[in-house]
Amino acid sequence: MNLDGRKYVIIIVTLLVGIIYSIRLFYMQVVDETWTLRAQEIAEKRKEITPPRGVLFDRNKKKIVSNRTYFNLMMKESEMKNFDTVAFAKLIGWTREEVRERFKEIVKGEGTYRNKHTGKRSSNYQKIRAYPFLKEMTLEEIATIAAHLEDFPGFYEEVTSMRSYPYANGANIVGYLSEVYREEIDEDPFYKPGNNMGRAGLERFYEKELRGRKGIKYIVTSALNNAIESYADGKYDTIAKQGPPLNLGIDIILQAYGEKLLANKRGCIVAIEPATGEILALVSAPTYDPNLFIGKRNISKNYPKLLLDPSKPLYPRPLAAEYPPGSTFKLLNSLIGLQEGVITPESGFPCNKSVVGCHNHPSAGNLADAIKHSCNPYFYAVTRRIIQQNKEKSVFVDAEIGLNLWAKYMHSFGLGQNLETDITGLRPGSIPDANYYDKWYGHHRWAFSTIRSISIGQGEVMLTPLQMANVAAIIANRGWYYTPHFVKSIGQDGPLEQFKKKHYSLVDAKHYSIIVEGMRRVVHEAGGTGRRAKLKDIIVCGKTGTVQNPHGEDHSVFVAFAPMYKPKIAIAVFIENAKGGGGLWAAPTAGLMIEKYLTRKIMEKDREKIILEANFSGIK
Amino acid sequence: MRKGESIVAHFDWTLFVIYIILMIMGLSTVYSTAYNEDHPNFFDFSQKYGKQVIWVGFSLFLGLLVFLIDSDIYRKFSIPIYLFTLVLLVIVLFMPPVNGARAWLGIGTLGIQPAEFAKIGTALLLSRVISSVNIKQQTVKTVLLANSIILIPMALVLLQPDAGTFVVFTSFLFVMYREGITYDPIILKLLNGIPGFKFKETWVGTHFIPLLFVVVFLSLVTLLMSNEILTFDAFPDLQIAGFWVVMLSLSILAILIFLILRFMSSRRDRNRVVLIVIIGYILAAGLVSTVNFGFQGLAKHQKDRIELFLGLKEDPDGEDYNRNRAMAAVGSGGFLGKGYNKASVSSVESNHVPESETDFIFCPFAEEWGFLGTIILVFLYMFMLLRIIFIAERQRSSFNRIYAYSVAMILFYHFAINIGMNIGFAPVIGIPLPFFSYGGSSMMSFSMMMFILLKLDSQRREDLQ
Repeated sequence: MNLDGRKYVIIIVTLLVGIIYSIRLFYMQVVDETWTLRAQEIAEKRKEITPPRGVLFDRNKKKIVSNRTYFNLMMKESEMKNFDTVAFAKLIGWTREEVRERFKEIVKGEGTYRNKHTGKRSSNYQKIRAYPFLKEMTLEEIATIAAHLEDFPGFYEEVTSMRSYPYANGANIVGYLSEVYREEIDEDPFYKPGNNMGRAGLERFYEKELRGRKGIKYIVTSALNNAIESYADGKYDTIAKQGPPLNLGIDIILQAYGEKLLANKRGCIVAIEPATGEILALVSAPTYDPNLFIGKRNISKNYPKLLLDPSKPLYPRPLAAEYPPGSTFKLLNSLIGLQEGVITPESGFPCNKSVVGCHNHPSAGNLADAIKHSCNPYFYAVTRRIIQQNKEKSVFVDAEIGLNLWAKYMHSFGLGQNLETDITGLRPGSIPDANYYDKWYGHHRWAFSTIRSISIGQGEVMLTPLQMANVAAIIANRGWYYTPHFVKSIGQDGPLEQFKKKHYSLVDAKHYSIIVEGMRRVVHEAGGTGRRAKLKDIIVCGKTGTVQNPHGEDHSVFVAFAPMYKPKIAIAVFIENAKGGGGLWAAPTAGLMIEKYLTRKIMEKDREKIILEANFSGIK
Repeated sequence: MRKGESIVAHFDWTLFVIYIILMIMGLSTVYSTAYNEDHPNFFDFSQKYGKQVIWVGFSLFLGLLVFLIDSDIYRKFSIPIYLFTLVLLVIVLFMPPVNGARAWLGIGTLGIQPAEFAKIGTALLLSRVISSVNIKQQTVKTVLLANSIILIPMALVLLQPDAGTFVVFTSFLFVMYREGITYDPIILKLLNGIPGFKFKETWVGTHFIPLLFVVVFLSLVTLLMSNEILTFDAFPDLQIAGFWVVMLSLSILAILIFLILRFMSSRRDRNRVVLIVIIGYILAAGLVSTVNFGFQGLAKHQKDRIELFLGLKEDPDGEDYNRNRAMAAVGSGGFLGKGYNKASVSSVESNHVPESETDFIFCPFAEEWGFLGTIILVFLYMFMLLRIIFIAERQRSSFNRIYAYSVAMILFYHFAINIGMNIGFAPVIGIPLPFFSYGGSSMMSFSMMMFILLKLDSQRREDLQ
């Protein structure tokens, strides 16, 4: 037997292992990425630092939405020792069962994640991770607990930031925050469980700006999930950056005053700076205190209440409520009539109550006086001339052409379509065109007489209060507008691009002066319907409207702007179910608003008192 | 020793230098892994690196002592040395357990692990016994004696329990194989007792290492197939258990071998051929059945461990935690590594890899130095092993040669298993990486083993006189 050969067996086995191991090491370390990814999963943690959200300023640099520090009471099971449930329950003022329930809830519900491949959810609870046991506690609340936390290892406080509202106004504008849903986390990798997101208003529209940029810290963590050191000396870390502040066109003083005026009423006030399109105030009544929506605990307590409130405080009336504009609409029909050349400023029509009802006033011999008196038969005649221009033999075909032309004009005033402002929840209102009536009556089965109520802003015509205010702004500008918007500038940047574009109405500027004159007469001449909006040193141009309401009392409407030359404010006031016409309630309200904005003082104390005491809410 | 000749006249510097390099690399890795910011001093003896410095120093001192003693002592005193290590192995069984095993003799950090030193005792005595055996005239007695020398410490080590060292003792099988120890005396005694059997030698008895590979291979295949059920698209109702696939393959193989052998052998040998193939087939089938049904009969957790090792099951955060973390650490090293003291998975501080300064020290090394480091390390170990085999083959005394092979095979086992468990090729059994891992016992025992070898080698010429 040749034993000498056996040394080769041993040498070959040794070498073979060495070679195989070398190849394996090359594969594992150089070729295959699996283990590198696995190592990252194990040891490198991305820690995200959520910056405080951007704050909101009003037009006078008053902070209207800011941030406040809150505290979460965190728990980490792996560090808990000799946990005394009774003592802990006593400390936080709960019962023992409540504490146990909360533990179960955390283990079951917190930190669930969705498997990307299977779509299945499973609890990702880990003893070595920290979870908030109590959320969003104020400094006072945590202070009593914090002093005793050393008796409960595994519990500690963590700082978090939430909104605060120095003024309790403008809730319907700014919106609120609430915790992101699982679906949202799955959709947008920015969000992690426990993060907040803008839910309504500007918080929602400017979510991407306000949320800022998350800071990412790469840290090396131990098997017990403790941070050891920053990864690669922080080379890949990014610093959290707070969202830029939003500078609003809102005047919070005016907003607060508007909310005060509309207390115990349902309705809206929308005020716009005509020259810029910036919204000065947007009052929705009834409204709610934004402080009710700070934090999960408050929201879950208050949201259902407000949602079920029959007066619908969460409903954004100025944006979404579509009302017939009433007589304020006569202004637009006049402008179109002038542009079409079917009337002149000197046109006179008798107040013939046989076609359409009217109140008692002398027949108007010219357009300005017709506006002053808000003469229904006059504008019936004007609108008839627009719709039935006798271009076609058939009255039906003629009406079709006329109505579509009319609708085109109306669209150029931003009506019948969404005014793409920087807030969500808008409704387009309604400007009927030929198609609309074809559906109702059939093709060529209708003429002006069928649809005559559009001449006095009733019937199928619907405007939102925002659109009404914008109409006032267009007239104040004599023919053009910027899309109304809230945000003047985002940090250092100006408003969004879409708010820098001037929109012109199809009515030439020269036709506006007579309308403006009519509006002046409404407020400032004897016999005008809106004299209660009159101010001492400021010329207010306005138009009243009384919207017939088949379901109850009439709505009171007033659109206005002031001063007459170089207007600073355009306004629309809509008060639902007010007992009386536009001149009685909406006009004085608009007057007070204009006075407040332009002079910061209220001279008309009696008028203010009457408005404040009025109660149209149905609740005495 | 001839007069005037230096004590290191025929010293194998090559092996010594590799030994020193490995030790320095080990020290630097221990320093990096166990680095404590509050104790940055390398020689801070309260830290593991400081202690390792002491162990290295002490090992070198032991080495010097070993060198001052005449090489003949080790052969002459192999019996008392062996018995001494056995006594230690018995005493250690009465010590309080540390981490579930009674492996430590002494108190706290000053303890030693007798199992590490038992390898030296066994290697010395085995060398002496085999060198005194006339290979051509082996008897049942000599075979049993040689095997008992290995089996006794193995049994004692298993009682601790220390599965790692237990496995390492099987490295002596390679030594016996190299020296021509055959199990034939025992096998023939049993086989020839059967009427009609008259064998002079068996392939099995002499070539037990290749046989070992066959057995391991067959077992692995059986285990891998035991949970499989094969289905066929063409015959939807047909389902074949993996076990029967193995058995069928084995039968076909047996028939093929039978036909080839029968065709090639002379008429006189044909009956023998039939007999050999039948016996071989029965033994193989028996092995496959035993492994298969034995595996099926195992308790769940035992089955799980085997399935994890074979990659039939995944449980990266549970049962397979150690190996998964170790592989992540090694694999994430990349080509150039993360840099010294930059291990993120396997540092002691992060503690993702357990025992990262002892049994899993390859992890931080591989993570910090990348493939460049690991290939150098593998090369160094290969070089060391081949050098020892080379040294073994140049010995004139068979005692020296057998001892050298013992050292080579022990080191080979440690290398193969330790690195193997870091790359998913070996089950996780805790044995240190020679000269590299933190730990006094392993450092001292491997060093002594190495210095005895160097001493024997340096005096190899004297055996002529």
